[in-house]
Amino acid sequence: MDITFEQVTHVYGRKTPFEKRALNNVSIHIPSGSFTSIIGHTGSGKSTLVQHINGILKPSAGRITVGDFVIRANEKKQNLKALREKVGFVFQYPEHQLFEETIIKDVCFGPMNFGVSEAEATKRAEECLQLVGLPSQLWHRSPFDLSGGQMRRVAIAGVLAVRPQVIILDEPTAGLDPMGREEILSLFKDLHERLNLTIVMVTHNMSDAANYSDQVIVMDGGKPLMAGAPERIFSQVDQLRKVGLDIPETMEFLNRLLDRVGKKETIPAFTINEAADAVIKILGGVKDHV
Amino acid sequence: MFNLVIGQYVPLDSYVHRLDPRSKLISVFLFVIIVFLANNWLTNALMVLFCLAGILLSKMHFSFIYRGLRSVFIIVLITFLLNLFLASGGTVLFSWGWLHVTTNGLFQSIFIAIRILVIIVVTTLLTLTTSPIEITDGMESLLKPLKKLKMPVHEFALMMSISLRFIPTLLEETEKIIKAQAARGSDFTSGSLKSRIKAIVPLLVPLFVGAFKRAEDLAMAMEARGYHGDVGRTKLHQLSWTWRDTLLLAAIVLLALLLLLVRN
Ligand SMILES: Nc1ncnc2c1ncn2[C@@H]1O[C@H](COP(=O)(O)OP(=O)(O)OP(=O)(O)O)[C@@H](O)[C@H]1O
Ligand SMILES: [Mg+2]
Repeated sequence: MDITFEQVTHVYGRKTPFEKRALNNVSIHIPSGSFTSIIGHTGSGKSTLVQHINGILKPSAGRITVGDFVIRANEKKQNLKALREKVGFVFQYPEHQLFEETIIKDVCFGPMNFGVSEAEATKRAEECLQLVGLPSQLWHRSPFDLSGGQMRRVAIAGVLAVRPQVIILDEPTAGLDPMGREEILSLFKDLHERLNLTIVMVTHNMSDAANYSDQVIVMDGGKPLMAGAPERIFSQVDQLRKVGLDIPETMEFLNRLLDRVGKKETIPAFTINEAADAVIKILGGVKDHV
Repeated sequence: MFNLVIGQYVPLDSYVHRLDPRSKLISVFLFVIIVFLANNWLTNALMVLFCLAGILLSKMHFSFIYRGLRSVFIIVLITFLLNLFLASGGTVLFSWGWLHVTTNGLFQSIFIAIRILVIIVVTTLLTLTTSPIEITDGMESLLKPLKKLKMPVHEFALMMSISLRFIPTLLEETEKIIKAQAARGSDFTSGSLKSRIKAIVPLLVPLFVGAFKRAEDLAMAMEARGYHGDVGRTKLHQLSWTWRDTLLLAAIVLLALLLLLVRN
């Protein structure tokens, strides 16, 4: 499902003293089957932007197209439920959505809302809890006894169980340890590749944005500043610095190395292996390493 | 999502904002009593004028206050209609079955509607222009005499300031939970009454869990910072009573006298 924003503006608290223009005339395109990362300084409108994709927020002006669904400003009743079945959303704070007595029941909540039978929902729930790596002895416990990271996994399972075609992740790895982060991101990468899911991820981690996505959108002050392949985006070091963003550590390292040897260029390298290759190239060393 | 204006503080710089919370509290208290003196067109007009003056002096936008009042209009409307049909006396304007609308009934219900609106506007104005901290400081100061009677005035004020402080947080939280559950296909706005009531459970449970957790965290943070109750506690903001506050009280007394003079 292609996602297109056309001149979308979102104003919070319109006509109150707290009025805040969080999105300003945003036009972007997220192709079907892509893995798109959205980065930007805190308060730049990332969450506001992605919450338009499943109709949680309505635009104050402009138009959003998601597959066959069209959301316009000033339109009252829309078939949002059908849209939300197709577009799953993992929120920034998972503790806001857990409520059932047991974890497995909580994961079933989504699918059953969309008309899946209890038996089928339970089957999907078990499958998805397995996928997110939550030990099965926890499944029949209360979700409130879990740690923050485990809650996040349950929340993710709850979204996967609906079997959406688009998944939106708002800082999905907040509260996870490095191992857990790797696991969860690999899971989404795998779903993306295996089932051709469209993934939109908001993140503060430049390395994650660089490593996992094929498109990066940089938000600044409610506007998209740049959009493109991670290699292209992260080469614009000065632009990123200006809006308070960093580049992946591997690139930072290479930049300093290039500085030391007196070369003026940037090499986009996001994984340790790519960085190692680049180092060898810069230093003009061994050709056939492993 | 929420147009609730009551209980919200809007930090601006105006005469009303700068008044001592004690004078504002006393004035609102007196005003709410005085309102019941109004019983004809002139006295009601005076009350409305007083409110308008207050709004003007507070630099609040009328549209903002109007939007906040929209949610209580339904209550005002119901009382209006009840009074319209129940009050008797005067000439009959029209009848419909056993229901009669009389001139008296019409005037009475208009007055009562004005009375409710005026009370709501004044109390809203108090919370809009006075921060929760100021309100509780003012309360505590006004209730100080009760401490002699071993009343837990300080604890009461603390409880109140904490609850007031967390109203916006709770609303924000509610909004986030509604969003999260809506994304999972929960529907609060359509379907049968039964299904709507059922849709409230996924909203209330996280809300309560969050509130209890926050209360625990807050208690711990307060203890960690050495909070030990009332004894020997000083205030960050000292209240100061100026001539403006005396003027406000004088205005209220004047209003009361005027009302006593011109009421029927
Ligand atoms: N519910 C709301 N009501 C009013 N203003 C809001 C609301 N949510 C966000 N804002 C404001 O809109 C702006 C953009 O917020 P948004 O949450 O989209 O930022 P973000 O890029 O997701 O930030 P973060 O990285 O901290 O999550 C901010 O200035 C914020 O204060
Ligand atoms: Mg955000």
